Amino acid sequence: MTGDVQVVAAPGGGCHIRSGCGYPSPGLDSFNFRPLFTIGSFQFTKPMLIAVICVIIVIAFFWAAFAKPKLVPRGVQNLGEIGILAVRDQILRPSLGKRGDSYLPFLVALFFYIWVMNLMELIPLFQFPAMSRIGFVWPLVFLVYFLYLYVGFKNQGFPGYIKNMIPWDVPKFVLIILIPIELLRFFVVQPFTLGVRLFANMFAGHLLLLIFTLATWYLATVSVSLLFAAGSFVMVIFVTLLELLIDLLQAFIFTTLTAVYIASSLEAAH
Amino acid sequence: MNGKGNGAPAKFSRKAVVAEGRAQGLDIGWTVFSYLIAGMLAYGAIGWLIGRAVRVALLFPIGMLIGLAISIGFIIYRYGKQGAVDAASPEGDDR
Repeated sequence: MTGDVQVVAAPGGGCHIRSGCGYPSPGLDSFNFRPLFTIGSFQFTKPMLIAVICVIIVIAFFWAAFAKPKLVPRGVQNLGEIGILAVRDQILRPSLGKRGDSYLPFLVALFFYIWVMNLMELIPLFQFPAMSRIGFVWPLVFLVYFLYLYVGFKNQGFPGYIKNMIPWDVPKFVLIILIPIELLRFFVVQPFTLGVRLFANMFAGHLLLLIFTLATWYLATVSVSLLFAAGSFVMVIFVTLLELLIDLLQAFIFTTLTAVYIASSLEAAH
Repeated sequence: MNGKGNGAPAKFSRKAVVAEGRAQGLDIGWTVFSYLIAGMLAYGAIGWLIGRAVRVALLFPIGMLIGLAISIGFIIYRYGKQGAVDAASPEGDDR
């Protein structure tokens, strides 16, 4: 539990290098939280609270930006338009072209929701990326998965869609060998990697931040280990900046690949 | 990308071309990775099933290696040649 680890490492806990309690190394427990409250068998935890807050932030932002749009954008509307145009020009148009503009609201919501969720790992008090709990990633993956399957079946028909997955340009005997790989890649590996990539990046990032933050405190005794503590603190700064980039990058990759998959469902890729 | 005649401004703007290249690179990169995993999984599973039937446990890792080899072979066939990326999409669509 993050809470527990932080309590141990907090000044009151006194868990320094010379206090004999050992380095409170973060691990899987750092991703489990005590429930904030319980309703029957349902336990409401901190990551759930973060997810709800992120949804509110994204809705509130775009509501504020576009509830009363002006012809000449000012303030929040300006910011909102920059965000939407960035998603359109950097993510949607390169994969889908103009025909994909109807997917813009979905991709904008997806991108900003993931980005804000990721950024929560760096915001004081929250300090936890909910996407590092894989349960928050799968719903998004299933949403994308069923969307591009639906679009594919609708546009190419069920037999056509399956037929277009197979690379017909290879020799016939190779085709038989390739069919299981193609089907497995499309139906299992593709959505699996989409989800695990986001989860693993957030998980690793949070773990790195925890390791160096706890190490900074643990090593900070009035002795030569202050030097090591300072070194660890520099790593905290470095990893924080790195995570700032990765948070954006992972939201970008997830949304770009979503656009690419939708595009391949709109028309045959092979 | 931006299928022919869809009117996207991409062809005329450098930024749009860079964005297209980025999307294409991401797509190909992850497709290649997916082929590697899928090859090992598919033929690993086939090897495991046959190995279970004939009681030869070694067929599981052999199946995985064969799957990996098939995947690598196909990746080289499809993406290894110069200009293969454009050829992979016959309509000039670079998804």
